[in-house]
Amino acid sequence: MRSAEITAGPAETRQLSLSFLRPSRSAIIGTLAVLAFLVLWQIAPTMGWVNGRFTSRPTEVFFAAIDIFRNDNFLYHARISLTEFVAGFALAIVVSIPLGVLLGTSKIARYLIDPPLMALYIAPTLVLLPIMVIWLGIDMAPKIAVVFLGAVFPIVLNTMAGMSEADPRFLRMARSFGATRFDIFTRVLVPGSLPALLTGLRLAVGRAVLGVIVGELFVSQAGIGYQLNLYGSAMRIDRLLVYALIVSAFGYTLTVMVRSVENKVRDWRSK
Amino acid sequence: MAQIEIRDLGIDYRKPKSNEVFSAVDSVALSVEKGEFVTIVGSSGCGKSTLLMAVAGLVSLTRGSIEIDGKRVDGPGPDRAVVFQEASLLPWRSVRGNVKFGLEMQRWSGGDLNERAMQMIRLVGLGRFSDYHPHQLSGGMRQRVNIARALAVDPEVLLMDEPFGALDAQTREIMGTELLRIWERAKKTALFVTHDIDEAIFLADKIVVMGRNPGHIKEVIKVDLPRPRNEAILDSEEFHELRKRLRAHLAEDMSSMQLVQEVA
Ligand SMILES: Nc1ncnc2c1ncn2[C@@H]1O[C@H](COP(=O)(O)OP(=O)(O)O)[C@@H](O)[C@H]1O
Ligand SMILES: [Mg+2]
Repeated sequence: MRSAEITAGPAETRQLSLSFLRPSRSAIIGTLAVLAFLVLWQIAPTMGWVNGRFTSRPTEVFFAAIDIFRNDNFLYHARISLTEFVAGFALAIVVSIPLGVLLGTSKIARYLIDPPLMALYIAPTLVLLPIMVIWLGIDMAPKIAVVFLGAVFPIVLNTMAGMSEADPRFLRMARSFGATRFDIFTRVLVPGSLPALLTGLRLAVGRAVLGVIVGELFVSQAGIGYQLNLYGSAMRIDRLLVYALIVSAFGYTLTVMVRSVENKVRDWRSK
Repeated sequence: MAQIEIRDLGIDYRKPKSNEVFSAVDSVALSVEKGEFVTIVGSSGCGKSTLLMAVAGLVSLTRGSIEIDGKRVDGPGPDRAVVFQEASLLPWRSVRGNVKFGLEMQRWSGGDLNERAMQMIRLVGLGRFSDYHPHQLSGGMRQRVNIARALAVDPEVLLMDEPFGALDAQTREIMGTELLRIWERAKKTALFVTHDIDEAIFLADKIVVMGRNPGHIKEVIKVDLPRPRNEAILDSEEFHELRKRLRAHLAEDMSSMQLVQEVA
């Protein structure tokens, strides 16, 4: 084979990355900034710059965390919140993916349901929380409902967009090889809309976490939001901060996980 | 009887948002023999793609008929395969996955499917790259995959719509030679659309020159240059003659177009 362009290497060469041994400049600066902040936070109340009652201290937060994990029924409350999250999110996935697919592949269905869907997506679904409480009581059910409502729309809308915005060149190519509608669906539309679906899931995570916490803050007998309420009225800044950190860490971890899958899938189509 | 028989073909498009019809191709008649390499050349917008897509069964005919081996075309079929101009490779599939696509549509499976795909990938010289994804390949390599995908289904007729249109001049030349090498082995009937005069001559047994408004055939020119061909024929006397003739055609088309624009 003599042609020049065949011997040209691939655009990307895979290399064993050892970069984690040499932390980047941004990582060093970031770490230093966090350390500086912690030190400042620690000494500020002692120096009389702020009132420690309202700001707490890193050390206090640290001990509060140990205390919470040891004897605050932490696992009990976490399990309740997690159950609400998982139940609501699973329900959202089960409903939203088929709905998104239907809307993405049927113009008529789209004309029919798109406007109310958009409206519901834009409106903060938390305004429905009081209604959910009236309908479903103060147990886990209204929180599951709010999680569901928060998560369902981003997934539906993104799945729909991914399906309906399929590259017409791919559709034509598939038809030229005699693809049936089912072939086109399974081999072009579904893989083609996967990145959009994942984007929807990622956006849904944030809304779902918010739903659980706000739902529990509003009315509940247990859960992380309940604890937040409790320590809020007791002005326990240290404990509030621990719970806030736990909630953010949870949402952050899930989001990062979905995003990494998303990036992997998007890699194929870059360029 | 000829393998492809196009009679009095006309294709109208309806303009979006109005009921105006616009004739993209009209009164086209053409016969193509089995194993013949026919190039279709003409300025941009003169209906070359429309004609090719009609043969592929991807646009519906307004008038006339197309027959392949005596069978009327009324949709895509396994007797034809298309090599498209731009990226029509599925970005989430590897080279091998893309070459498999047409075979999957014909319900190939398992070891046969894999073997056939690899055989085609080697034929177009991409054996080492079967696990790469399209974005990791150069433009020329991508079009090789495109060709392999079409050849894999073993069509009677290979339809190509400016497959090298997006490539630089040098790669284009290489691909042309390479395509002839493959074609001489596979012995398929080929319809090849291009707006590049040299490419049209270099590949063809027969050149179809198209004009515009509406798209029609101006002339069909037989090319008797010996095969197998290589870049050397670009400098031959006959090649120069043909080039001059085609240039004159296209220049005429251009000037008539300018006239229309000036009037409008
Ligand atoms: N789907 C379509 N709907 C309406 N008009 C079209 C469509 N496809 C092509 N045309 C028009 O038909 C004419 C011929 O197009 P085409 O066959 O793509 O020409 P070429 O391939 O020679 O550049 C052009 O004027 C183009 O604008
Ligand atoms: Mg064209």
